[in-house]
Amino acid sequence: MSSAEKKLKLKRVRKGDDRVSTMIEKPTKPEIALNVIVIILCGLVAFCSVIPMWYVLMSSLSDGQTLLAHKGMVWLPVGGITFDGYKQIFADSDILIGYGNSIFYTVAATALGFFISVTAGYAMSRPSKLQKFMTIFVMITMMFGGGMVPTYLVVKAIGFVNTPLAVIVPGCTNAMFLIMMMNAFLSIPKDIYDAARIDGAGHFRILFIIMLPQAMNMGSVIILNSVVGQWNSWLNAQLYVSQMRELWPLQLFIKEMTANADNLMNTGDYSRYLIQFASIVAATLPIIVLFPFFQDKLEKAVITGGVKE
Amino acid sequence: MALHTKNKRVTWKADIKQNWGVYVLFLPAFLFLFVLCYIPMFGIVTAFQNYKPALGVFGSRWVGWDNFVELFSGERFLIALRNTFFIGILKLTIGFVAPIVFAFMLSMLGSKLYKRTVQTFSYMPNFVAAVVVCSLLSQFLGKDGPLTMFLTIFGAKNQNWLANNRIPVFWLIYTFMGVWQGIGWGSIMYVASIATVNGDLHEAAALDGATKLQRMFKITLPCISPMISMMFILNVGLAFTQGYDSILLLYMPATWDVADTVYTYTYRIAGFQGGMADYGVSAASGLFQSVIGSILLVGSNWISKKRMGSSLF
Repeated sequence: MSSAEKKLKLKRVRKGDDRVSTMIEKPTKPEIALNVIVIILCGLVAFCSVIPMWYVLMSSLSDGQTLLAHKGMVWLPVGGITFDGYKQIFADSDILIGYGNSIFYTVAATALGFFISVTAGYAMSRPSKLQKFMTIFVMITMMFGGGMVPTYLVVKAIGFVNTPLAVIVPGCTNAMFLIMMMNAFLSIPKDIYDAARIDGAGHFRILFIIMLPQAMNMGSVIILNSVVGQWNSWLNAQLYVSQMRELWPLQLFIKEMTANADNLMNTGDYSRYLIQFASIVAATLPIIVLFPFFQDKLEKAVITGGVKE
Repeated sequence: MALHTKNKRVTWKADIKQNWGVYVLFLPAFLFLFVLCYIPMFGIVTAFQNYKPALGVFGSRWVGWDNFVELFSGERFLIALRNTFFIGILKLTIGFVAPIVFAFMLSMLGSKLYKRTVQTFSYMPNFVAAVVVCSLLSQFLGKDGPLTMFLTIFGAKNQNWLANNRIPVFWLIYTFMGVWQGIGWGSIMYVASIATVNGDLHEAAALDGATKLQRMFKITLPCISPMISMMFILNVGLAFTQGYDSILLLYMPATWDVADTVYTYTYRIAGFQGGMADYGVSAASGLFQSVIGSILLVGSNWISKKRMGSSLF
């Protein structure tokens, strides 16, 4: 290929958004080998990512007695497909209580956290005499914290321990969400705010009717992150309500079941053994099924906002 | 309107008149952060007290550095410190490099559809609850578990790996659990920054006959290295303080010698796992950990600023 031809081809390639490499030069043998290895390794990562969930799903559909004696991977339900595990969920008051509590905690904490993030984000985004103070006040909590014990003692002192409030309030939002919301409000053109101000709107009306709908892109990212985080959290519940069984979220019941799994195997109580798989599926499936719909949004938030976890 | 931009010298009276709504809106966050972050920050004084819940912070006796002396004279804390150190090192090496390697591999894939599929699958573990992950891990690595059976092919014994207290076993298990959870989600940043590398550089190098692999190491890697070092700084600061709560779900008294970390030690000593609560020593342990974390963060930031010119703050 002459260099003029090469350049022409390059131009064509440039128009498309793909990389140059494979199109201008014939790949050499080692390169083909490399590509194949990369394809296989990537496939392996994807495979390893889903295989544990597949194992649980198939186990939950298995026959309990066969499963208990089964060794190694469960590729397909062993001992015939049954729905015993799921039937038992509905007969088991623990799991139903846990499910109810988890839904309640998730909704309440997300709503409260969102409210705090939005109001504070707006306050920090408006020029005022205390703007700098408010921002620093929030930023400091990102770098320093009191640690587990002092926080526990405070939560205890205000009387939250052993009430639902201890699960909902302490973890409902964080400095990161407040800063993200502030940035979202700061990126809205100032004219909109000024216009509303001239028309005589107060801060509350400006925030909830004019500004918030414009910042909902970031707002929805915060809500999504919060829902996932709250649904999956267990440590606050463990710290603050572990003595009140009726307040446990689903995760604590799963934790207890896993801890007792060895006992169940020894006693041969295969129905209890089966129910743990069913409840793991019930706890995980809602999130896993929902997330691909929001994948792009969450991805973008990681790239622009730098959300850790 | 626009009061503050036109006139820098605004009286408090005018400011309050215009911005009282702003301050009212900040009130929920102020209360939230003040009660749950700032008051606990002052609570670290319990590290210097013989704290008794009945007496409170103001009534408890001051004991100076006694709690720290007790901490460092006990064998358990030193073991926890050693474990935290090694798990932290593994997280900063294997755990840090894995998403970067994965991002490079993704960028080499020709098929867009395949890349997207792999990504979607690899994100999933990030959305699985810690409790479920640990439950899965104990299933897979338990006796007769799928992974245990797989390892027997290579001559390993069929055993409960989580109960194994030989030295690197638990450390590696915990590190790879983190890799499994974070490899996909952690790669997002790197995939994005690899995509922003200037295509002209690649074209020029390709025309000069550089192979794909050469271009990756000589062009892409240097281009994204400031971002990598930034992420590394952040990770150094967090590696020894965050992400140890899952150990509470995995360890057992039989493996305390290898699995106990400063975080779990703090948790246990505070009586959350039953037994006597020693709040003073626990607070001392927590304080020690956060001081080390801050030193590491500031230190690595300083080194990176000096050596590479990029820093977090």
